[in-house]
Amino acid sequence: MSRFSISIFMLVGALTLGFAQDRPESPPEDNAKDSIEYKQAYGLRVGADLSRMVLSFTDENYQGLELVGDYRLTQKLYIAAEIGNEEKTQTEELDNIALYNYTSSGSYIKAGIDWNTYENWYGMNNLITIGGRYAFSSFSQTLNDYVIYNSDRFFNEDGFLPGAAPNEEFSGLNASWLEFVLGIKAELFANIYLGISARLGFLITNKEADRFPNLWIPGFNRVTDGSNFGVGYNYSISYFIPLYKKTKKKKKEEPEGSELQE
Amino acid sequence: MKKRFILVLVLMVFIQFSACEKDDICVDGDTPNLVIGFFDAIDTADAKAVTLLRIKETTLDTTLGTGDFDRTSTSDSIGVPLRTDESNITFAIITDSADGDTEDEETGNIDTLRITYNPREEFISRACGFVVQYDNIAIELNTDDDNWIQDINVLQTNIENSNNIHVKIFH
Repeated sequence: MSRFSISIFMLVGALTLGFAQDRPESPPEDNAKDSIEYKQAYGLRVGADLSRMVLSFTDENYQGLELVGDYRLTQKLYIAAEIGNEEKTQTEELDNIALYNYTSSGSYIKAGIDWNTYENWYGMNNLITIGGRYAFSSFSQTLNDYVIYNSDRFFNEDGFLPGAAPNEEFSGLNASWLEFVLGIKAELFANIYLGISARLGFLITNKEADRFPNLWIPGFNRVTDGSNFGVGYNYSISYFIPLYKKTKKKKKEEPEGSELQE
Repeated sequence: MKKRFILVLVLMVFIQFSACEKDDICVDGDTPNLVIGFFDAIDTADAKAVTLLRIKETTLDTTLGTGDFDRTSTSDSIGVPLRTDESNITFAIITDSADGDTEDEETGNIDTLRITYNPREEFISRACGFVVQYDNIAIELNTDDDNWIQDINVLQTNIENSNNIHVKIFH
């Protein structure tokens, strides 16, 4: 679970880094009183997940890439999507004896919305979003190697007999799920964003082989016995392509904390 | 500030979700043994232990483990392992057994059972992986001049666990 500790660490880091910047200059005094408008950039943000890239280099049992993108629709609403490809080989052990080894490999697409809940100060473009996705993954699993678990030690004093049909590939598998996403994106430099998101998935459909269930789904991660939930995360670096500008309607002469009149 | 705090809290909950998983321990199944129950030949509903029982697998020429299968055991049922990579196995079931002259030799009234079956691999759970279950169990008794086993009744031809008696031997 160390990668989750790392994720928390980086999350806290990004929070302090991204948002603890000095409060920028307020808009000129006269503006604040009457003309009350400034332009905000709208456009497309595209990027890639850093964690999957790093893991591809450091973990010999993992290959993966995820591209991320979102498009700003309104002041707070974005349509967002991720597309990715992953391959992961895992071994399940019992008391240090390898029971089976399998590879999951496939692609996925996730599409949905992000809702920015963060009130930016003048001139800042950071996001703390909640969002949802519908995701679909098409993949295959290969059972590379396995043994027959047998607690009776009569025929084999230590160890288990190998299974009869190793290296069998189960293809044509697919799964779909809904994802709840919590995300943060901080503008590090002009138009360059660093983002982190945590995801809770809920499996809706899961087409699996008779002989070997889906234990790990690209994009969804580990499938838990007897539960439809899965968790995931990403760290994205992305570039914002401004397409047009639109005026943000500013609240009129706001007393402290009145968000109702927007 | 408050929002940020709540967000971190929610993420913590995420991590709790992922850190603790029940499917790390294998409790869901095992490769079953064939459970043989010994019953009285006349009053067939009565369980009847075999005196000085020994069971020997003939290919390995090895007696089943000494713990539960000790000669002095008066248990009226035992589980015997089947070969997961074959479709038949032969056991010598010995009553009134005693040590023979050489090591591993058993004397007594020896009846030989040949058990045939179809092993079937089955994925049980993430933690247990694959086990073998058995279909189409059939048992054949080699007849000799002095069979102590009177009759055999296979109660259950498909075996998925060791929880109940699969085969009754009447004597």
